[in-house]
Amino acid sequence: MLDTFEILTTSGVVLWSRSYAQVSPSIINNFITDVFIEEKGGAIAGARNDQSAAQNPPYRADQHTLKWTFVKELGIIFVAVYRSLLHLSWVDKLVDNLKTIFVDLYGDQLKKPNTTLVHCHKFDGYFDQQLRELESATATKGAPAPTFALETDEAISGNLGDEPPLPPGLKHRNAKAQDGAHDLPSTVESTPIATPTSSRPSTPGGAHLVVGKGGPMSKMSRRARKMQKSPSAPMSSGDESSARKKKAPKKGRKWDADGFADEEDDVQLDYSAAKSDSEIEGRSTAVDSVDSATWGVKTTKGQFVLRDLDDEVHDILASAQSKPSTTSNSGLLGSGLNTINSLFRNVVGGKTLTKEDLAKPMDGMKEHLIKKNVAPEAAVRLRDSVEKELLGVKTDSFESIDTRIKKAMEVCLTKMLTPTSSLDLLRDIELVTRPSGFSTQKARPYVMSIVGVNGVGKSTNLSKICYFLLQNKMKVLVVAGDTFRSGAVEQLKVHVRNLKELTEREGGQVEIFEKGYGGDAATVARDAVRSATSEGYDVVLIDTAGRRHNDQRLMSNLEKFAKLANPDKILMVGEALVGNDSVMQARNFNASFGQGRTLDGFIISKCDTVGDMVGTLVSIVHATNVPVLFVGVGQHYSDIRNFSVRWAVEKLLNSN
Amino acid sequence: MDQLVEYIEYILTPSKAVFIVGTLIVFLVPIIVHILVTRATPYTNLPSVVLVGPPGAGKTSLLTLLERGDAAIDTHTSQVPQSIELTVSADQHLSFREAVKDDAPGEHKKFLLVDTPGHGKLRNFAMDSLVAREGLKGIVFMLDAATLDENLAATANYLYEVLLALQKRVSKTKTSKTPSVINVLIAANKSDLFTALPSTLVKSNLEAELGRIRKSRSKGLLASGVGIDDVDNEENDDWLGEFGSEKFTFGQMQEFNLEVDIVGGSVTEAKVDKWWHWVSERL
Repeated sequence: MLDTFEILTTSGVVLWSRSYAQVSPSIINNFITDVFIEEKGGAIAGARNDQSAAQNPPYRADQHTLKWTFVKELGIIFVAVYRSLLHLSWVDKLVDNLKTIFVDLYGDQLKKPNTTLVHCHKFDGYFDQQLRELESATATKGAPAPTFALETDEAISGNLGDEPPLPPGLKHRNAKAQDGAHDLPSTVESTPIATPTSSRPSTPGGAHLVVGKGGPMSKMSRRARKMQKSPSAPMSSGDESSARKKKAPKKGRKWDADGFADEEDDVQLDYSAAKSDSEIEGRSTAVDSVDSATWGVKTTKGQFVLRDLDDEVHDILASAQSKPSTTSNSGLLGSGLNTINSLFRNVVGGKTLTKEDLAKPMDGMKEHLIKKNVAPEAAVRLRDSVEKELLGVKTDSFESIDTRIKKAMEVCLTKMLTPTSSLDLLRDIELVTRPSGFSTQKARPYVMSIVGVNGVGKSTNLSKICYFLLQNKMKVLVVAGDTFRSGAVEQLKVHVRNLKELTEREGGQVEIFEKGYGGDAATVARDAVRSATSEGYDVVLIDTAGRRHNDQRLMSNLEKFAKLANPDKILMVGEALVGNDSVMQARNFNASFGQGRTLDGFIISKCDTVGDMVGTLVSIVHATNVPVLFVGVGQHYSDIRNFSVRWAVEKLLNSN
Repeated sequence: MDQLVEYIEYILTPSKAVFIVGTLIVFLVPIIVHILVTRATPYTNLPSVVLVGPPGAGKTSLLTLLERGDAAIDTHTSQVPQSIELTVSADQHLSFREAVKDDAPGEHKKFLLVDTPGHGKLRNFAMDSLVAREGLKGIVFMLDAATLDENLAATANYLYEVLLALQKRVSKTKTSKTPSVINVLIAANKSDLFTALPSTLVKSNLEAELGRIRKSRSKGLLASGVGIDDVDNEENDDWLGEFGSEKFTFGQMQEFNLEVDIVGGSVTEAKVDKWWHWVSERL
């Protein structure tokens, strides 16, 4: 059973929701942050506008599964939440159908500027109808126990698979399982829409249609059928005119109640009928004709009205299905005018961007990024998300497509590179070394370690950070964790000696902790942290041996290292010079610290040597979602800088 | 075909009717175009109040509460900014419940309330609108007073950014004319919860934390792209408030024409009258 179904806008307002079980709001919040804002998981977040829920990868969190779909033009998200234990194959269909219905009914209201009000409490009826229909469709299909089990089994594997699109065979079966759901719209579709009364008898369960104002021809046969099938209602069948009299005042009363939201079942159902009356005005003629049918049955009981709701819903779904085929250009003249218009719009602006308009400039943008040393994988992702952003957008007056794309790319890059939380290293250190009065934590040294591939500048950047900390009058212990390469310990010793001399007057204090060569780096690090705790150091900086990111033997040591030393921050040094390999480097290092531990930040070294080609920054952030903390911009101890997003974006978009 | 020729001939021959119609077209078309264009973009010049703050503070909830007038509805993490049009009464104090109604008494003033996403990656919009927005009348910085203990650092950091941006905005425009006072309301939300701090405590905690941030920033590294020569440039100065002062207080912001008030309230219990009054007084 479904736990929650919500319809919310991208601005965060829940327009409509139905809840069957308590679901923590944090689930949907996390879903939004992960999928939409931080774009975790999927490398390509784009192209999901208006996609059916089956193609969107389901989001799993805390025993719940979320199926969702997104309509970009209106900025609304449809989310269904259910327990992961239940494998509800019809949820995709439910989400898609409700999306179609909701957009059809309330699309106009959503386009209004400067308001979040959408009067959609009448949506309850549509939701109930869809839920019941889809549930019963699966239930009847699955009645033979063995086949049902088989189907759900396959559905499970499909659901759990990493690939969102189901294998073709499975899709076929799923479609079969939902045959019942398909059947109904197809009957409506096949029969001429202008005569809905004739289609009604063909829908299942039409036996109980007590229609007072139906067509005179069908009335006879219906009454006859009703006499046969419902003998348990002698009252209504016996004297029809009196029954109608009874219902007439009832109708009036309900109308009153309908004007405002009411949760009671009968009223609510009647409500939807009344609503369809007032709401449908100005919609397509096809729906209007159904509307007249809804009129006729309005005086009957809730169930009967529901049947009409069915018809209406199927109509909306059917018209949505047939929509793509009807959008054809109107002859030679029309297409000629369109071309002239679009040429004109290119210059003046106000052009609605289509995929064809965007294709070429977007590829140009991708090439531009690759020239700036962005890995192709990351460039493609950026291109796709910019394209997703721009599809259907109108350009401003006197704005060319290129400027619009540049603007969107700037936004996209900024969003990607901006860290989720603030990265003030000094504040972090202060919080750990001098915890405030209320907190239960004891003061301890702040542990940072630096990892990376050979020769990227780990020791150099460690010394730079050390110099920065020393200038802030901290007591730093540098740990020689590279017990492997000859000369590594001596190199660090030289650095520490230099730093000591440089900061003597400033008041910083630095020592080196070394155990020579050949020892286990993880144990050395642990010992160093212990001795630093007892001697009251503020910061422990651990250097590590360089390792190739695809060497499993060397990388496996890192997990033990992370466990024993337990650093507050693990920083990885990456060269700005490296090209496409940066993606794999970042990914492998990020994954090497075991469960639940990732990198905390990057230092990009040698930025002064690449000029504008700082694409490596983008590649690694794309690969890991881990922010860049520092950039190295020179040979001196002071040549380290905080990473500024604006600076990077400017350089990347600079076109000479 | 003959008819068409006749018709064209009629139009091209000078006559009274043709002249009248022609003049009418010449005069009316610009007016109609003007009306159409101005109607298409009606919301440019309304004064605005911007809602900023860390995620989960209740910005969107407050927005829905003020718009609906009865109760806030459920909200989730925002991804895009959202503005709504609200009315305040110009001459008398109306509660937000009355102001929402169409038949509220007195003269009305319309303004835009702009909600911004609080997520770290999406703060650009908020920061941009603080610097560049026309007709900015006030800023409401919302925070969650119930979890301020844990989130003090993150909250104060955002507040620091906001105040710094405003301070820079003021110091930039110093040359031309005296800039108008910008009002900042720090709205300590969720006072209905047991753990919520009273507004005085919120104030002292924030001031202390802002002071610490200010200190550590002054010692921090330069941002990339800032050359050595620019160090003493005032534009890159990240010091908030009175320079060289030991302690930070919100009072120091008055030097930069920033008025900061801290008021508690609760969106869930609809206790937002004080905030509403603050907003209506500033418009």
